[in-house]
Parts: sequence; structure tokens; C-alpha cells
Amino acid sequence: MRVHVRGTTYESRVVDLRGRPVDGRALAAAVRGERCVPAVDAPAATLVYGYCGYVGPEMGVRTRTALAAAARTRGVETPHDDAIADLRERVAAIDAVEPSLPPARKSVADEDIAALRESVAATRGRLWARERLDGDTAEVESDLRETAQTLATRETERTAAAESRQQRREAARAYRDRLERRRRLTDRLANRRRDAREALVDAVSDRYASALDDVPGTTTDNSAGPTPDDPFDAEPVPAALAVLRVARTDAPVVLETNRLGTPTSAAAWLDAPVIRC
Amino acid sequence: MLLVATYSRAARRDLRNVCRAHEDCVVRQFGRAALLSLTEFGAFQALRLREKHGLDVQVERVTPFEPEDVPAHVREAASAYEAREEPSTPYQRFAAGRDLPAPEAMEGKEL
Repeated sequence: MRVHVRGTTYESRVVDLRGRPVDGRALAAAVRGERCVPAVDAPAATLVYGYCGYVGPEMGVRTRTALAAAARTRGVETPHDDAIADLRERVAAIDAVEPSLPPARKSVADEDIAALRESVAATRGRLWARERLDGDTAEVESDLRETAQTLATRETERTAAAESRQQRREAARAYRDRLERRRRLTDRLANRRRDAREALVDAVSDRYASALDDVPGTTTDNSAGPTPDDPFDAEPVPAALAVLRVARTDAPVVLETNRLGTPTSAAAWLDAPVIRC
Repeated sequence: MLLVATYSRAARRDLRNVCRAHEDCVVRQFGRAALLSLTEFGAFQALRLREKHGLDVQVERVTPFEPEDVPAHVREAASAYEAREEPSTPYQRFAAGRDLPAPEAMEGKEL
């Protein structure tokens, strides 16, 4: 690996940055590719590095989740993997983008239509009366045309409003159906992932327990206690170190602990490139 | 009443907050839905959620329901079926030998 810190480039499997003004967590983020500075040129980090890429004081670790990720780096597979891949594909295929609905139209009130209809009928009656009396019908005819035209327009508006309302409802319902389907699938996916995690942890838990036993200064099989502690209740630093030992670690691990002695002995114990800071 | 149903985590969280802050307009709260009073204030709260979360918030008008709103043959079918002696009889079979509507006959029929 190659690390570039404040004008100095280090190129080695073990880089000792003690005494240099560099933040371990920032380095670990750079190893994961989440930041560009400090510049770290090294093999790509696996998911384990999201949990244990930095080991130091005040760290926390979700041991089981980290160990499951470690098992993946060793190529452990589970009976759930196909189902997980399938569910992920199905979730990804669902279009969860909110559709744009046709614009809402203001509807025309039934009373307005009824009033216009009445007005058309009344005008027609007037026209008929004029015709019977052989009177001048031009003005009434024009009235009738106008009122009938208004009625037709309002009726069209009302139909358009009803259609747009229907379309809006249908589009919204289809979208919510998709969200609902996605929610059910993501629930199932989460369950499957949990099952897979358990299987992964099971597959490597013995290796993890013996790695934990080997962490210098850790006494899980303390004869003073009535029962040996659960390895998954171990302190974050030894737990993370044991997880890293189980994992295949091509990317550098950032250590801010003396637990494993010198940086070189730490690299040997972890079988990993190490940045000590 | 107004039925407000949510379809995303964020919308659900905000609905819960609205329900907590404005109890007087909340008729009933369910997991990710709530019934709000059919008042301007209830509508105001529903519209706020709509503004913020778009189609992830569904608002429907809910009208009261009385059994009497339903045709007699449907009500009679429901009470006869619930009084059946064989609990495992599906309704389809139960209705067949009796003067009761078939499920298909009811399915397409709007109230």
C-alpha cells in the first residue's frame, strides 16, 4: 500500500504514523474509499472494513454483523443467497418514482348544469311562443344558441374533470400498490438477510472464538468466572481484532491500539497490511 | 372523516407527529394510517402531509356506514353464514343450497 500524509509518502505493508497529526477514523474512511484525503492507494476494502476498518479507543462494533461480513470475505455462502439475490432484483425492478399526475380540474357543480339546462328549456319555450305568434325570433334564437353553447362547454368541462379525477386516482393507486409491493419485498429481504447473517456467523463462530482467545491480554476463559463469557459479548477492540483475523484482509487495517504489540507483529497476527496511528 | 394513509417511513413518522400534536382532530390512529375529523383543521393537517410527502400520503373521505345502508339480502347472507353449524364450510358452498346470493353476484355490484 501507499499512504500519502502531509507531503510524505509511505510505501510498505506496515506504515507507522504514530506521532503524525493524522486521524485514524479519517484514514479508515480513506481506505474504504469514502474520502480522498489522506490519499491511500491499496486494494479495495470489503464490507468488514465498514465495521472493523478502524480499531481504537471508543470504537463500537456490531460483532455479529461484522463477523458475517468477515465470513463473506472467506467465500462462505448460505442457502439464502439465491433468494436474497432474487429479492434484491425484484425490489430494484419496482418503479418507486412518484408519477406526475394529470392536473386537477375544478369540477362544475350539478346545480350549475341543472340551471343551464333549465335556461335552455325556457329559452326554447320562448322561441316556440314567438314562432307561434309569428314574431321576431332572431334575438331569442341567438339567446338559445348562446345558452346551449355554454351548457355544452360546462358539460364538457365536467366530463373532463371527472376523467382527470379518475386518472389521478388510478395513477396514485398504482403507485401506492407498487410501494406496498416493495415494502413487502423489502421486509422479506430483511428477514432473509437476517437468516443469512446467522448462517454466516455460525459458519465462522468457532474460528472467531479461537481468534478471540488468541488476542493478547484477553481472558475469555477466565477460571475466576463460573461460566466462560459469550465470545459475542467481548469488548469492541478484541472483538474487532478477532473478526479481522477471521476475515481475508487485503486492504490496510487502521490500528490505534497497542493490543497486538508492534505494528509489525500486529500485521503478522492479523495477516493484514496495517497502518498504525 | 378523513382517512390518511402513509406509504413511506418519513410520511408515517410525520403522521404520528401530527396525531401526537393535534389530538383533537384525530378520531383514531392506526399503524400507518389515521382517521382525522372532517373539519378544515383535519383537512389542513392532511394537506400538510400531502404537500410534504406527495403521493406517499393518501387522503380519502370516509363516510359513516350503517348495516341498513346495505341491501337486505346481503345482510341476511352475512348473518346466516355466521350462524352456520359447520365452521369449515366456505361461503360459496353454503350459499349454493340456499336462497342466498353467490359471492360473484355481490362482487361486481356497487353499493
